[in-house]
Amino acid sequence: MVASMTTLIRRTYPLTSRCNSLATIAAIQSQTQLPRESLQHHSSAEGRLRFSGRVFCSESGGEERRSSGCWNCGEKAAFLFCNSCRSIQPVDDSVDYFQIFGLEKKYEIDPGSLEGKYKDWQKKLHPDLVHNKSKKERDYAAEQSAKVTEACRTLTKRLSRAMYIMKLNGVNVNEEETITDPTLLMEIMELRETISEADDSTALNQIRSQVQEKLKHWSDSFVEAFESQRFDDAVKCIQRMTYYERACEEIVKKL
Amino acid sequence: MMLKQAAKKALGLTSRQSTPWSVGIFRSYHENVIDHYDNPRNVGSFDKNDPNVGTGLVGAPACGDVMKLQIKVDEKTGQIVDARFKTFGCGSAIASSSVATEWVKGKAMDDVLTIKNTEIAKHLSLPPVKLHCSMLAEDAIKAAVKDYKEKRVKTNGAAAAGETTQA
Repeated sequence: MVASMTTLIRRTYPLTSRCNSLATIAAIQSQTQLPRESLQHHSSAEGRLRFSGRVFCSESGGEERRSSGCWNCGEKAAFLFCNSCRSIQPVDDSVDYFQIFGLEKKYEIDPGSLEGKYKDWQKKLHPDLVHNKSKKERDYAAEQSAKVTEACRTLTKRLSRAMYIMKLNGVNVNEEETITDPTLLMEIMELRETISEADDSTALNQIRSQVQEKLKHWSDSFVEAFESQRFDDAVKCIQRMTYYERACEEIVKKL
Repeated sequence: MMLKQAAKKALGLTSRQSTPWSVGIFRSYHENVIDHYDNPRNVGSFDKNDPNVGTGLVGAPACGDVMKLQIKVDEKTGQIVDARFKTFGCGSAIASSSVATEWVKGKAMDDVLTIKNTEIAKHLSLPPVKLHCSMLAEDAIKAAVKDYKEKRVKTNGAAAAGETTQA
């Protein structure tokens, strides 16, 4: 009779197979108020187990948590992709973009180093390569490949790289707050006005190179501020860079 | 039938563009936003140094927007008689500041301080992702009023000092 009870419980409360059945029964029992005596002979040597009514699994997280090693062959060092059995691994959120490209977590990187590594990864992870594999692995391919693309995009451009590295350090830059710094805003206002009034490509290109210089200058200031842990100043640098990038976008649109 | 009509109106679709089931799929700008974008009211500038002008200059660094809103105040009545704006940003930001200049005209300064971004957003049916544009407009109004008041204090202070030295 208890066996059928277990089946009934498993059907109404679906759980991952990793949770042990004793935990299941005890947890449900506290909700359905079955007499403990009927389940006594299922208790392990631990004796009475108290549960709060939540399901208590001996392992946490179920499928999302990555146990060490490849899901397919158990090979230990399977980073994004298992070289041993050539299967794509599920996305691990603790892996950051710098790790994907084998780079130190520093703002200054050589953007040229990204492209080669990017292509190497996509040769292994791209969804087009896994048509014959299981749905599970095709899903992994889609997610991993997308993450690698996003990583490359983020690290290539200075501004997005700056915001990302701040995020990794717990500083969220993209707050939708209003600023009123008159010096900065007047400068940007004048810059945007000049751009909208400029007619020919010579003038526009000239403005563009001036803005690029400013971008470089503030990018350098960002590095200094960031490395000295002056995060408020670093945020200000990023804000300026955002304004200059927007101005460049407008110039490009007009050209 | 009535519900469908209301939904169409909310999405800014006229009866010419009716398509039964695709109404909910397209996320386009509301007709009020398009109107303010195509025919913006009160674009321009006043002389910043005019003692009757208050200038509010605000920015949204997250998207690189910058907004300038100016008010011209009748010093006797304290009423805003005219307003101008100049905004570099997305359509929602431009429309929000355009609406703001319309709404402040003819009102007392302290009244316009009660204009809330949510009212602007509602008027333009701004989606949640563009709410900060209306917030920028609200901040611009407040900045303009603040600037005008600070200017008055300075001119009054200077005038008072002038009187004492002349005496």
